[in-house]
Amino acid sequence: MEFKLEAHRIVSISLGKIYNSRGQRGGIKLHKNLLVSLVLRSARQVYLSDPCPGLYLAGSPAPPQPGEPAAGPPAGWGEPPPPAAGAAWPETETPPERPAVPDAPRAGDAEPAAAAPGAGDSLQGGEAEAAWRRVEGPREAAAGGAGSPAVVADLCPEGPRAARRPCGCPAGGEDPLGALSAPPRVDCRCAPRPAEDERSAPPAVGPRKRGAAGVGGGPAGCQALGASPLKKPRRHLEEQPAGAAAEEEEEMETGNVANLISIFGSSFSGLLRKSPGGGREEAEGEESGPEAAEPGQICCDKAVLRDMNPWSTAIVAF
Amino acid sequence: MAGAGGGGCPAGGNDLQWCFSQVKGAIDEDVAEADIISTVEFNYSGDLLATGDKGGRVVIFQREQENKSRPHSRGEYNVYSTFQSHEPEFDYLKSLEIEEKINKIRWLPQQNAAHFLLSTNDDLRINLWHLEITDRSFNIVDIKPANMEELTEVITAAEFHPRQCNVFVYSSSKGTVRLCDMRSSALCDRHSKFFEEPEDPSSRSFFSEIISSISDVKFSHSGRYMMTRDYLSVKVWDLNMESRPVETHQVHEYLRSKLCSLYENDCIFDKFECCWNGSDSAIMTGSYNNFFRMFDRNTRRDVTLEASRENSKPRASLKPRKVCTGGKRKKDEISVDSLDFNKKILHTAWHPAENIIAVAATNNLYIFQDRIN
Repeated sequence: MEFKLEAHRIVSISLGKIYNSRGQRGGIKLHKNLLVSLVLRSARQVYLSDPCPGLYLAGSPAPPQPGEPAAGPPAGWGEPPPPAAGAAWPETETPPERPAVPDAPRAGDAEPAAAAPGAGDSLQGGEAEAAWRRVEGPREAAAGGAGSPAVVADLCPEGPRAARRPCGCPAGGEDPLGALSAPPRVDCRCAPRPAEDERSAPPAVGPRKRGAAGVGGGPAGCQALGASPLKKPRRHLEEQPAGAAAEEEEEMETGNVANLISIFGSSFSGLLRKSPGGGREEAEGEESGPEAAEPGQICCDKAVLRDMNPWSTAIVAF
Repeated sequence: MAGAGGGGCPAGGNDLQWCFSQVKGAIDEDVAEADIISTVEFNYSGDLLATGDKGGRVVIFQREQENKSRPHSRGEYNVYSTFQSHEPEFDYLKSLEIEEKINKIRWLPQQNAAHFLLSTNDDLRINLWHLEITDRSFNIVDIKPANMEELTEVITAAEFHPRQCNVFVYSSSKGTVRLCDMRSSALCDRHSKFFEEPEDPSSRSFFSEIISSISDVKFSHSGRYMMTRDYLSVKVWDLNMESRPVETHQVHEYLRSKLCSLYENDCIFDKFECCWNGSDSAIMTGSYNNFFRMFDRNTRRDVTLEASRENSKPRASLKPRKVCTGGKRKKDEISVDSLDFNKKILHTAWHPAENIIAVAATNNLYIFQDRIN
């Protein structure tokens, strides 16, 4: 179980790095991103091979370890730019209620207290958060259909796609990219998947190109919920979970991982290639439109939503 | 309290004691990124010492003649020339910014008949340049796959053999080294030798691939050995044995349990270099907290030293440092959690003939030499 948490955390961090790399001076660094993709693959494999999928953690989170410093970037490395997307989007609805930080990865974190540099975390949290909240609105509207093409295009330069529900269940009821088996989302009112699918579906990511099939992928993350994608993983080390309720479960949205990876990493998707057999299809006949409601009240558990954030925001920004 | 260093000096063979000699660079706590030193290199005689920085500037220091009236002071290095070597550029066609950071400085071998140099700024290709033909180069290694989705490794370092001008090596992000002979074919995609140590399955982690990526490869002066630096260790290879290194030296093994945090803060991607002393009896590489490590290959001893302003009194001896890895911390030891990961020594250079070392600590260049007895 600890490995799974660790894997989840590492996947989040890795995706954050890939996102950050787009804004780095000198362009995307091939070597570093290659290594990050290797870590991503390892973590994903561990997660999927974990014999206890879908378990929820009970109880309250462990407090942050004393002396665990912020794992910000070392000084002198240059700060990643804030998400470029912020300014253009209209302010829409109120930000969803969610704690600033997830996750019990720290509870299960096998790593000892970080030996991290003392450099301050360069979160541009406030403005980034606001930007992502603004993103939320249009995404909601886009759920279940073509959405607002302009907004979708802004967020997902690959092209408009059907929105994906925050719970990861694709709006259209299909998930051709679908690839990674996700643990059953018990509270999700989408039709439950057969249990065996989730164990037997091989890890899969598409080498599917962006723009293929209108479904899945892009806007999955577009329902970002006010998390800064840039420093989210680093925040894990330094902040207490905002609410005691924060960690009753540790549910990773692996359905999104496939999409994320397929969007991000055409360069490296050879490492993450879908195995023969393909991914699973989402059950059909899902409900539509819960997204129109407030973000906090859609079909999935809040904790799932929270866990979505690093992923979803990473997708969008990328 | 002897420092390591072995018999680097021709007159040496005794235990060395390293002493502070000089430090160059500003003292400011606030370091501008452009001032961060990105490469350090002695020339072939050791009389010239060059540094390059992230701002594209090159500074060349020249060693002063020894002062007869001050017999205990060896020649100091003073600035000989400074110039802006590279400016930031923007490739409008590809919409790419080209960094002005100086990646590597190599001095021309004045006595060497070879007039070629290798350039490996590209992760996927190695080009060979003739020094008199500046408008084109020969591509001798190309590992770019037809389909970039199949990319699994990149080239991380390359170097010519010091004596056989047709032989070079290049290292990869997978922890392998390939030795190629340019006489065998024009395109050296096929190697003559392939150096790889089998992975230890018991130490496998999420980060195994990252920490096995080789950040530097250096031939020994003799040309018989080469040294590779990965994240946690330095390995010495006999060119005649491809299956495993002949020596492995742990640089900072205590970081193995911290890899996740080091991944998070990007330190795990730091590319440390390594260097040989003139007689190949000792090797040196950097670490964090402005520590650097020396390994004496003959005596098997190693020492950790620190480049710091506090230890910068003229001719002050460097005290060996120790990192406490667990249990009770002794006096003068520093615990792993107290290490400053912002202060990293990535670049070091050893004078080709004497026991003089240049150590780049962010924006400062420290020069140490052995005490003259």
